[in-house]
Amino acid sequence: MQVRNIMITGASRGIGKALVEHFLAMGDTVIGVSRSRSDIVSENYHHFLADVATEADAKHVFTSVKKQLGKLDVLINNAGIARMNAFALTPVSNVQEIMNTNFMGTFIFCQKAINLLRKSPNARIINLSTVAVPLNLAGEAAYAASKSAVETLTRIMAKEIGSFGITCNAIGPSPIATQLISGVGDEKINKLIQQQAIKKMATVEDVTNIVDFYLNPNSHMVTGQIIYLGGIS
Amino acid sequence: MDVISCRQIVIQALELTNQSRSDDTQIPLTDTTVLFGQDGHLDSMALVALLMDIEDALQEQSIDVSLSDEKAMSLSRSPFKDIPSITQYIYDVIAAQA
Repeated sequence: MQVRNIMITGASRGIGKALVEHFLAMGDTVIGVSRSRSDIVSENYHHFLADVATEADAKHVFTSVKKQLGKLDVLINNAGIARMNAFALTPVSNVQEIMNTNFMGTFIFCQKAINLLRKSPNARIINLSTVAVPLNLAGEAAYAASKSAVETLTRIMAKEIGSFGITCNAIGPSPIATQLISGVGDEKINKLIQQQAIKKMATVEDVTNIVDFYLNPNSHMVTGQIIYLGGIS
Repeated sequence: MDVISCRQIVIQALELTNQSRSDDTQIPLTDTTVLFGQDGHLDSMALVALLMDIEDALQEQSIDVSLSDEKAMSLSRSPFKDIPSITQYIYDVIAAQA
């Protein structure tokens, strides 16, 4: 199989880091983007310190990738932040921060990536959503709304960039033991899991499995889809 | 950037467009060819692709512009109608930014 150039945002920890390690193990070239440094060392790994919600940072990343690698095959928009709070008590500054990283960051990176992705025979965009969207989870108004925006963006982009040979899909993981949910109590997580058809915590491997499915060249007819883990719909 | 250079970039972007089109849908690279609008050779997504190629070529010369803003789309006479109008539009956008 040809070596793919795969960009992953939010690459320094959690699902993003696991995806970086997965693709490096498969022999791909990986471009990681995050606000913090990465401890991954590999000749096939390029790390950029950037804030996904800052257009100038994104421009720098894509200009550098164009110069160094010439093309991009895959963009995985994984960077995201979550702040649990009652709607009535959520500071507006938190909402702006969540929308900036989760939605604006995804929007900006998708837009900047299109020109490089067009040169790939199997171009893919994968966005990270959450089961908090279909479950309308109380306490996650801002987070779920930002991911809801990401889902709508995914569906509309799929229509607009299909003619460029780029598919655009999303994954909605059910709870996984990462830093993103480390502040959420066990009781709340268990309650959430009881709403799933498959009542257990997911793993990063479950996410990797869906990513691999979307990236498979045989998935060229799959676009504008959101797959949730755990049997949520 | 002068008008001649702008025109050259437009022509090169159209040549790229033609590379991905079949023999019977090639776009004649003449001043009277209607590119976009009634009886134009480009649909809206093909125009987007062309503008991305032009922006890309400009970026390689360290010129960072956005060619498809709301103003351009709402002009009564589309700046994307033909090669001369796109050329002039690019020249104007770059000049306004300078």
